[in-house]
Amino acid sequence: MSFQGLLNILKKLRSNPEKELRLLLLGLDNAGKTTLLKQLASEDVNHVTPTAGFNIKSVLSNGFKLNVWDIGGQRKIRPYWRNYFENTDILIYVVDCSDHQRLEETSLELAELLQDDKLRTVPLLVYANKQDLPSALPASEVAQHLGLHLIRDRTWQIQACVATDGTGVKEGMEWVCKNIPVKK
Amino acid sequence: MIILKIWSVLQWYLRPFIKWFLRKTTRLCELQRICYGEQAGAPRTCSVEKSLMLSRTQCVKEIVTYLDNVVNERRFVSEYFTDILDPSISIIMRAKKINPKLHESFSVSFRKCLESIWSYKSLIIAIEELRCCQFDSNNSEHEKKLLRLWDLLVPDDKLEARVTKKWQHIGFQGDDPKTDFRGMGILGLENLLFFATEYPQASSHVLSHSLHPKYGYTFAIVGINLTSMAYYLLQDGSAKTYMFNARNHLPSINLFHRFYCYLFFEFDKMWIESKPENIMEFSIIFKRFENAIRTELADPATVFRINIEIDTI
Repeated sequence: MSFQGLLNILKKLRSNPEKELRLLLLGLDNAGKTTLLKQLASEDVNHVTPTAGFNIKSVLSNGFKLNVWDIGGQRKIRPYWRNYFENTDILIYVVDCSDHQRLEETSLELAELLQDDKLRTVPLLVYANKQDLPSALPASEVAQHLGLHLIRDRTWQIQACVATDGTGVKEGMEWVCKNIPVKK
Repeated sequence: MIILKIWSVLQWYLRPFIKWFLRKTTRLCELQRICYGEQAGAPRTCSVEKSLMLSRTQCVKEIVTYLDNVVNERRFVSEYFTDILDPSISIIMRAKKINPKLHESFSVSFRKCLESIWSYKSLIIAIEELRCCQFDSNNSEHEKKLLRLWDLLVPDDKLEARVTKKWQHIGFQGDDPKTDFRGMGILGLENLLFFATEYPQASSHVLSHSLHPKYGYTFAIVGINLTSMAYYLLQDGSAKTYMFNARNHLPSINLFHRFYCYLFFEFDKMWIESKPENIMEFSIIFKRFENAIRTELADPATVFRINIEIDTI
């Protein structure tokens, strides 16, 4: 084997040690981001408190090491969201489907995210959360409100879920693992 | 790790011999040695608890189960203490052949330990109940408490509506605090309310820090995160140091509130001293704070006091 060949193998090993991915979890306050994060990490979801700042957890899933960043959703914190955009592999946007009053607000925030240069072409997964509540809008209607069908520059998916009991969460993560962008 | 494991197994077998040997040489049983030898408060109470839990004497085991049941039935309250503890203590003293006439001071200090140990267990149940009770806008009691919190913290600005942006002034996330209590339930609100009621100066001092243009933070949200921290410290037993060392107070809901106030006051101090860049540093500073508190609680001799000498600059 030539020296070049050996070098190539070493390079491959180094660039793909355990396929680490950076997932960014965003959404309005009370959308259920932290609950989702805890659900992903198989932790207790009954003691969640509002996030001041951010939480981060590493989760192993389908042979990937997912570094999930959960950033607080309150208005005061939103200006800091952009500090976490860099190197994001997948954007996960969480919507509280029972919060009809703030559907407009959450659409605007998402639209702004999708326009950001640093998040360009980053695949988008929307979790239509709180489907267990009687007042929750179905995922298809939420997709309409968010204008997801108008997205042309990236792959996207909307997944109905109940973060508190885990319904639909796995399906969303499977989509994530299938749609990992190829790294340059 | 392995050495520790071997040691704990060895200890299990050696314990009776060591106890027997000490008993013969000191002519005192382990409980007596603890009550006479250990410093009152957390050191003594924790040792008594450990001794009782490890005991292989049948009647001691029965008393422990009995007291646990009393706690679970929510009957471990001071008015029944005589009825519950008098027989328990005399049974243990008889089993351990302790002469009540000679060792009157033992029974006094032993009783104090039992009161503390099982009051702590009662408190865990009471706090869990409060935490599980979700904040409910349809409950007028809850609503009243929420509005009172505003009045206490911001006395010169009346709320013109129940749902308003003004809540953000005291650090709630949006227009309606009801969704902010989350996993801490009504306990989060009760904690904040106690802080504002019992320590008006300290709480308004802390609130004013939270409004600092550069080092500001969200008062109520940080408060709810501190409730969570206090809750876990209580659950895993770390808070025993605080509770058992509180002079003249048994573990109670009020003492838990005081513990919370202490944490809030100290967290605020650490936050301001850290000169954080922005609120995004919260997670890191909060973790550092928790570690500092855990270190302090790990020493049973630590006595906590809120040092409320407020600089009025």
